[in-house]
Amino acid sequence: MKMTKIVRTTADVFYPFCLAFGLYVVMHGHLTPGGGFQGGAVMATGAALLIVARSYEDITGRLRKGVLKVCEATGLMLFLLAGLSGLLKGLPFMANWLTQTGGWVGKVMEFGPNGGELATGGLIPLLNVGVGIEVLGGLSIILLYMISGTKEKKP
Amino acid sequence: MKTAVLYAILLILFGGLLYIVTDLPFGQPCKADMDEYFIRNSQTQTGANNVVTSVVFDFRGFDTLGEATVLFTAVLGVGMMFRKLHEGEEYEND
Amino acid sequence: MTAFLVLQALVLLGLLATAVMVVAFKDLLAAAIASAAFSLLLALEFYILQAPDVAIAEAGIGAGLTTAIFIIAIRGTKRHEEHDQ
Repeated sequence: MKMTKIVRTTADVFYPFCLAFGLYVVMHGHLTPGGGFQGGAVMATGAALLIVARSYEDITGRLRKGVLKVCEATGLMLFLLAGLSGLLKGLPFMANWLTQTGGWVGKVMEFGPNGGELATGGLIPLLNVGVGIEVLGGLSIILLYMISGTKEKKP
Repeated sequence: MKTAVLYAILLILFGGLLYIVTDLPFGQPCKADMDEYFIRNSQTQTGANNVVTSVVFDFRGFDTLGEATVLFTAVLGVGMMFRKLHEGEEYEND
Repeated sequence: MTAFLVLQALVLLGLLATAVMVVAFKDLLAAAIASAAFSLLLALEFYILQAPDVAIAEAGIGAGLTTAIFIIAIRGTKRHEEHDQ
């Protein structure tokens, strides 16, 4: 069952904005309110708009089950590997060994307001991105499974 | 009649519980040592400006791993429940 | 301070009204939209109480994904609630 043309056009227009805002929330998770889970949920809302507005056959070109499954597993593996990477340095599991080192994501910060430096926080942005990818894949694949499993009546 | 008595008992029970709650002081006893620690040290220890994220992903990172695993398991359950495929689609691993 | 209290009272009254609407509507699609409005007002309440993290999560999950799940379920079943015999 397709919805009307107004709904489909609105969903098409709003989908990239939802993705962009969700990506912003994920990337700035260690500076502004939000984080991996919230940003992933916002991105999955964009996918939900697209899924609700169209039928399953229309959508298979843009959202595929295989890609979303890979997204979900990759996010969880990224989270686990980022947590395990501390073990190589002789630190405990999930130890934040990249922060305040002046390196790649560990710009040294003083106590006080942050003027928008993204390269801070050490392991936290990596974990945010992992959880964001996982939540995006997981929540949108739930909707995709539901819409592919329900038998719709022909109007 | 029976339901009226049941509702009366529920009303008395909830009223009594609410009356007891009104006597308690709000937010007491206050244990503030952990909050003080997070507010003072989380920014210098983790480098992240958002204290909530630094608690969720760093100080309590193991809980977040559990949450991610719960979401993964929930998605697996939904996938098993809606295993029946759309018409004309084939199973991937058959 | 009074403006804050008045705003909060208005949001809570809106929450109550939308919750009654969810139960009262016989058209299930309208009930799903009312529950989305309930979640949106709840997110506003969280934002007023200075918990923006929870507000973003509530707006994304409650107002977006739950409504989508309800709409998909309604598409698979019937739109109107049937009367009791």
